[in-house]
Parts: sequence; C-alpha cells; structure tokens
Amino acid sequence: MDNNDDLFGDIEPKKDYTKLIKIIVPVIIIAVIAIYFLTGFYRVEPAEVGLVKRFGEYQKQVGPGLHYHLPYPIESIVIVNVSELRKKEIGFQTISPGRYSSRENEALMLTGDGNIVYAEAVVQYFISDAEKFAFNLKSDEDVVKNYTASALREEVAAVTVDEVLTVSRNVIAQRTAKRVQQELDELGVGIQIKNVYLQEVSPPQQVIAAFDDVNSAKQDREQLIYKAEEYKNEIIPKAEGRSNEILNEAEAYARSKVLKAQGESSRFTSILKEYINAPRVTKTRLYLETVDKVLGESEKIITTNSEDLLKFFDITGYKGGGSQ
Amino acid sequence: MKLLVTMVVIIVLALIILPGFFYFVDEVEQAVVLRFGDIVQVSIEPGLYTKAPFIDNVVKFDERIQMYDISAERIYTQDKKTLIVDTFALWRIVDPEAFVKTMRTVNNALTRIDDVVYSAVRDTFGERSFDEIISKQRIETLEFVTEQSRKEMQQFGLEILAVRVKKADLPEENKNAVFSRMESERNQEAAKIRAEGEKEAAIIRAEADKKSTLIVAEANRKSEILKGTGDASALTIYAEAYTEDEDFYEFWKSLSVYESTLKDSKFVLDSRMDFIKGFLAGE
Repeated sequence: MDNNDDLFGDIEPKKDYTKLIKIIVPVIIIAVIAIYFLTGFYRVEPAEVGLVKRFGEYQKQVGPGLHYHLPYPIESIVIVNVSELRKKEIGFQTISPGRYSSRENEALMLTGDGNIVYAEAVVQYFISDAEKFAFNLKSDEDVVKNYTASALREEVAAVTVDEVLTVSRNVIAQRTAKRVQQELDELGVGIQIKNVYLQEVSPPQQVIAAFDDVNSAKQDREQLIYKAEEYKNEIIPKAEGRSNEILNEAEAYARSKVLKAQGESSRFTSILKEYINAPRVTKTRLYLETVDKVLGESEKIITTNSEDLLKFFDITGYKGGGSQ
Repeated sequence: MKLLVTMVVIIVLALIILPGFFYFVDEVEQAVVLRFGDIVQVSIEPGLYTKAPFIDNVVKFDERIQMYDISAERIYTQDKKTLIVDTFALWRIVDPEAFVKTMRTVNNALTRIDDVVYSAVRDTFGERSFDEIISKQRIETLEFVTEQSRKEMQQFGLEILAVRVKKADLPEENKNAVFSRMESERNQEAAKIRAEGEKEAAIIRAEADKKSTLIVAEANRKSEILKGTGDASALTIYAEAYTEDEDFYEFWKSLSVYESTLKDSKFVLDSRMDFIKGFLAGE
C-alpha cells in the first residue's frame, strides 16, 4: 500500500475508494439482510415433525420437507422425531449389541409372597403427540424408565414368586405397560408405550441352585415312577404266563383223568361182557392168570408143615426185617 | 453517503437498544419481571412482552413437568419391618410469583421437595404394614403421599403431580434372611417331590405285586376247579361202569390189587392150600 501511494500519488485512489464504498456498503447490508432471512429455511426429515413458535408461542405443526420460518428472534422451530422407537432397559444395560451388563440392584424385586426375584425388562415407546411431548415434559428418558420400574415392581409384588417365574410373565408385562400408559396419559406428555418385555426372569443368583434342584427332583420323581412302571410291566406278564401254565396243567390233569377213567371203565365193561357170557370160566381164568402173574416170577417155598415156617425166614433173610 | 452512514448507525443502535424493551416467553417457560427485587410483572403465557430497559430483570422458569429422583430412605413399617424406599417425584412450577417469593432457585425447591416427600413417605408408610406397602395398597398409599406433598408444596408455587416408589427393597441384611428362607423352601419342595416319587413308585410296585399274586391265585383256583371236575367226571365214569356188576368188580379189582401189591413178594406156600394140594395130588 505504501509503495502504491508513492507511485501514483494521493488524489486518484481516494476518489476511487469513496465510489467503491458507495457500492459495497449497500451490497453488504443487503447481503447481511438476505443471509439473515435465509436462516429461516429448515428441513423436516420424514420421521420428524416441526413445531413452529413465534416469539416463543406455539403456532403450528409442519410435516416433512423443506420449510421456511421467519428468522430469529421472531420465529423458531422445534423438531421432534415421532417415528423412532425409543427403548429403556431396566435391570440391565446394553454395552454394545449382544453384550449386556446386569444391574442387580435394579433387577432384584420383592414378590407378593415375600420372596425376591430377579427380573429384567425393556420398555419401548414412541412420541405420539409431538406438541405435548415437546412442551410438557422436560426429560422423557428417566420418566419412562422410572415409571416402568415402579409399575413392574408393583405388578411383581402382586403375585407369588412361582407365578412370576412361570405363567404370569406376559400378564405382568402387559399390566406394567398398561399402568405406565395410564400414568403417562394422566401427565399428558404425548408418550405412547408400545411394549414392555420381560427379559431374563429368574430366581436370585444366591438361590438358583435350590430352584434348579426342584427341577431335578421332578426328574427324579419321573424316573422313580418310570422304574416302577417298568417293574410292573415285567411282573404282570410273568404272572399271566404262570397263570396260563397252571391252567393248562390243570386242564391236562382233568382231561387225562377222564380219559383214564374212560379207558379203564371200557376195559372193565368188555371183561364184564365176557364174564356174563361164561361166568365160571372167566372167573377161574382171571383168578389163575393172576396167580400165575403173581406167583410165576416170585420166589416161593412150599411147606408141608406150617409150623416150620419160622425156620425159613432166617434163610431167605428179610433184610433188616425181623432181626430178633 | 452521510445518509447511508447515519442509517447504519441507527440500525446498529436499534439492534443494541431495542432488545432491552422486549422479552419473549417460550412455550415451555414462564417469566417473572423484577425491578430492584420487586415483582412488577408475571408472564405465564408464551409470547412477546415489553419491559422497562436496563432496570427490569426477567427471570424465566421452566414450565414443563420435571422429574426429581429422591434419594433412598430407610423406613420402618407399622409391623416393625425395615424397607429401603427409593422414590421419585414429578413436579412443575405453576405459580412463578409464589415460587420467586419463597424459593428463588430450583435448587432450593428440590431441597424442599426432598424434605416434604421424605416426611410424607415416612409418616404414611409408617402407619401401614409391610404387606400393604409392598403389594396390597401401594397405589392408594402413594396417592395419599402425593396428595400430602401437593398440599405442602402448593404455597411455594409448585405442583407435585405424582410421587412414585421406584424401588422398595429390604435392607441388605434382611435380604440374606429371605434368600436362606427361599432356599430352604425349595429344598423342602425338592425333598417332597422326591418323596412323592418314591411313594408313587412304591404304590405302583405294590399294586403290581398284588395283581400278579392275584393272577396266580386265580389261576390256582381255576386249576383246582378244573382238576376237581376232572376227578368227578372220572369217578362218575368208573361208578357207571362198575355198578353194572358190583360183585364182579370186587373180584376183578381184587385181582389187579393182588397183582400190583403182591408181585415180587416171597411166598411160603402151605401144602394144605387147595391150590398146592391139587398140584401135589396130581389132580
């Protein structure tokens, strides 16, 4: 600059500067004003709604797209995401997807029968009324979380530990959701609870072994009964087999007795027939035949004097018989 | 040129000075205008308001519902049990004028809420039994606490919307007692289930034993009947045949008895017997 002054002198540039300022200043002023008014453009994303305020007073709600509001401080805009499903965790915390850390302090709760149970829950909610949400509530997160924790504890306290662990899970979740919704509706904060899910529900760490033992006791019971049934299935067919055997034996006995009787009696009848035809001959023949059979093959001693009889006893020797 | 400069100067000055004459209240706010510490104006509705520049001081308060997490306290129930009760309160400023006069700052208000809710919870829970607090009357109890706290806080320009119990737990030392009771309850249940299994198994076995014994006994009974019937039929058959000639039967039967009983005996035959006599005599 100093060099320029020396070369061209003082007069000419001064005139130029005044001209330049006369043009530039209004341009700058217009530009500033234009930029100021341009700050009123804003975009509302598809998931969002915009709430327009004039001097802080709510005017209207606008949907997704490019919009314009009068620049600050006349109008301002609040953008609320109404589609996003928000989530709060009770009794645990997601560190990163798939990794959780338990918050035992939050998860342990009393049941109606004075026991303690461990329950984790998730509450899902979204903004159903952007206006109420933006203007009536300072922070949604803790309110939803605390109300859910509170309602969950109330519902768990209404049932027994066994009910919590088994059948009532869904009922508890539904009732909790309903209760939280009721409370939030009363506050009028534009939050809609979508769902309350019970995640892990279990006995406390300290007593889990005892609870598991009840399950294994149930298995033991089944096993014992199964063994007994097995015994029953073995012993009854055996008895039935034995019964069959006895009956067959008896039938065989009875049949054979009858058959024998039939045989013997028909033998008798035929001999009797002969006897009737020739009584004397038959009787004598039968008698003699028997004598023949009995005496024929036996040892015999014939005495002429029956008084000698004793002498022969010693000789023929009744073994071990009369030894005196 | 001069006109231009004057205009710029005026605009700049206006931008500096004008805001001093105005203030606006947002949808979520309410404002109190103080002049040398005195309240000169209260604006609850949102919008643009005027004020005296420089001397008026605008204090704004949030109008929205806020949550205050009250720290856990130890409570003794009517039936002498101890509970650690963790509560939270939902509140908002409804009367900024009263609020400014009595509280001035939110921190003071929170301290006050703490005191009021604490004593309401302690008093109310202390008149109820453990069971009533935990399950049966929790809602009624809390509504009562809320109502009491609300009444207390009204004068400070605050509204208590709800007092809720976030957690009501047993103290650490009582927890262990509950755990050991739960454990022994489960142990008993397990023992009972096993005993039931043994009992049922024993019943099944005993029934099976009984049934099998009866099956065999029944077979024996039928067997005896069958045998008896057989014996009887045989006797009838014998009797029918033998009664045709009883004398001959006697003779015939005697012969077969002689044969079977006397066979292989040793005989001493006397010569005087007819049979021998005949033989010896050569008849």
